[in-house]
Formats: sequence, C-alpha cells, structure tokens
Amino acid sequence: MVKTNSSLNKERNIRLKGLMASVSEQRDKQAFGELFNHFAPLLRSYSLAREPGSTLLADELAQEVLIKVWNKAHTYKPELAAVSTWVFTLARNSRIDHLRRSGRFSTDIDPTALFESIEDDGPDPFQMAQRQRVEERVHNGLKQLPIEQSQILAKVYLEGKSHQEAANELELPLGTVKSRVRLALQKLELFLKR
Amino acid sequence: MANYHPTPEMLTDFSAGNLQLGHALCVSAHVEHCDECKTNLQRLNSIATNLFDGLEPASLPDTLKNAVFSKLDDEHIEEPVREKTVSSHIPRALQQFISESYETLSWKKVSSMIQQAHLSTDVSGSKISLMRIQAGGKVPMHTHSGEEYTLLLEGSFSDESGLYNVGDFLVRDERHKHRPVVTKDRECICLTVTDAPVTLTGFFTRWFNPLLRRGHFSH
Repeated sequence: MVKTNSSLNKERNIRLKGLMASVSEQRDKQAFGELFNHFAPLLRSYSLAREPGSTLLADELAQEVLIKVWNKAHTYKPELAAVSTWVFTLARNSRIDHLRRSGRFSTDIDPTALFESIEDDGPDPFQMAQRQRVEERVHNGLKQLPIEQSQILAKVYLEGKSHQEAANELELPLGTVKSRVRLALQKLELFLKR
Repeated sequence: MANYHPTPEMLTDFSAGNLQLGHALCVSAHVEHCDECKTNLQRLNSIATNLFDGLEPASLPDTLKNAVFSKLDDEHIEEPVREKTVSSHIPRALQQFISESYETLSWKKVSSMIQQAHLSTDVSGSKISLMRIQAGGKVPMHTHSGEEYTLLLEGSFSDESGLYNVGDFLVRDERHKHRPVVTKDRECICLTVTDAPVTLTGFFTRWFNPLLRRGHFSH
C-alpha cells in the first residue's frame, strides 16, 4: 500500500514524541541526538530565512533552542502539541529574544511571559478532539494554496516580516497582503466562526 | 466574553513573533481570557509548524553537535512546570509590571476624571500604560496620530461605535475621532499602547495637548 503524505507525517510525529519521552524521562542522549539531527538543520534554516548570510547567528539559535529542548523536555506536553510545534515556539521566542538583545525590540518587556501564559494552556476538550483534524487540514491545505498566498505566509512565519514589511517588499498595497492572508486562512478553514 | 478581538492578521503576526512587544503584550492579555482567540492562535501555530517542517534543511557545521552535547551536562536548575495562577485577576502578561493589584501602581493625574500609570516605553517610541477613568467619566474627544491599542481590563465604556466590556480589544487610528464615556456603575481601567501622542480635537480640550505630550515623553 502506498503511504499517503499525511500518514507519513503522522508517523514522524509519533516517532518524535517517542524521542521526547526518552529524553524527558531517561535523559537519553541517543534519543536527543536523533532530535538534534532532525531539528538542527531546520532551526538553522529558520534563522537564515530571516537573516540570510548570518551563519553565526544561525548556529547560535540552533544551539540555544536545542539546549532548551534538553533542559525543558519535562515541560513539553505531548497531548497539547506536536514536537515540531513546541520546537517552533522555542525558536520563535529565541528569535524575539535576540531582537530584544540587539535593541530592535523593547528591552523591558519579557517576551516569554507573553507567549507562555497562553500557549501552555490546553484548549477545552471539544477543541482537543478537533485539533488532530485541524492539523491534518492545515498540513494538506497549505500545499494547495495559490502561490501568492503561501508566499506571504512564508514571509510572515519564516522570514519574520510583518504584513506591512511583506507589503513593502513585494511592492503590494497593505490591503492586498492582508486579504491574501485572510483568503488563505479561509481556505484552510482555520478560524472558529464568529 | 469579549466581543471585540484582534484581527486575524494581528493574531497571525503575533503567532509569528512579528508584533512589536507593546502590541504583543495587549494581544497576549486579551487572548489569555478569550478561548476563541486562544484556539485560533493554536491553529495558527500549526501553520507555523508546517512551514517550519517544510524548510529546506540547512547543512550543519561539523562542530555544532559537539558544541551542543558538551553543554548538556552543565548544571542547570530544572525549570518548574509553570502552574496556572488563578488567584490574580491581572492578566499574566501584565504580571511582570503589576505584582498584586492595580492600586499599587504609581498613578498620575491627567485630568479630574483620568489617571495614568506608565508601564513601559518601547524602542519604537510607543508608550504602554494603564488608564483609569472614574465612573461616568468622559474622555475628551480625541484622534490618534498612529495607532492606539486598548484592552479593557475593568469596567466598561462606550463611544460612537459601541459599548465595550472587560476583555474587549480595540485599535483606533487617525481615522477615528472618538469620545469614550465610562458607564456610571463603576470605574474603568484600560491597558493602552499608543504609537504617538494622542491629539485632542475638542475646542475646549485643545489646551490639554501639551500636557499629554509632556506625559508622553517624560518617561
């Protein structure tokens, strides 16, 4: 039987969760090594997407996040999120913290407090049941978005551009960028209906 | 339950980590008590995760793995799993500035009806503060140069466009001229983040501007 892309994705997520459990419960360095092999290249690539050419910064971010993975493994809650989601949030916070240290963001607001206070909580049970379905929809749906929509999402999430910065760079009106993001979110049926 | 929420683009920029921290603070304080936005945010994180997973893996310098492994045995204090503190009604994002209650802040009088407590100034120059307006208090007609983010923390107020209650999240810019009036039953406390000094446009309150401007830069 040919495995679908989404079942491969599911298998990988299960494997990563198993590795996290070994790291958290047995302080298993071999399992950590496998997490390193999986995530270090992605983390480096994430940093380079925002600051192309800054290889030292990329090494620093990858190193910082992976050490956090080791030190904070016990705070990862497998029932709430995929390992990749958790690692992404660590990477994003690390990026913000770097911007703060380099003086590009305010220095006296603690950024981790802003995210931890809301990302550590689980959604209610109804949302939990839906979570898996939403994740699959996003996984499959992203690949089917028109290029002009996925391009902006990549700029926002990977290159760290605000909507305004993305608009400037693509020489598009801000309204166009915003509506492309909204269309993408609609297509992915991402938001709860109000 | 809040009726006014951050826009989808704002939540998207928040989850990507692209909002300036003052704005992020406002969004975070809103989302903490808004299940709907919290769920939407978690869903946005799954977009982020998919894009992150789909990155072309970058090649690694040979030394990186050793560098990381050499630090694994360092003594470290295990971070405790954060327990949700339910005792305080102050949003957790704000607890870094406000320890126990709004009373302990150093409130400065802006007018007979309004007090202001400064929390922080962002590098971009935007100013983060709390405003406290007496029950029944009127805020002079004003417009904004740049944007003003407001999160209602206590009480309620209304303006030309609607009635706002605890948890409501508003963004006003130069297109809005508004005149908020606090409801008569209780005082109102708001978190505000202003990009630039608020401009008062009322005939009798024009004199007010220099005071506010001075307030804006005095921190």
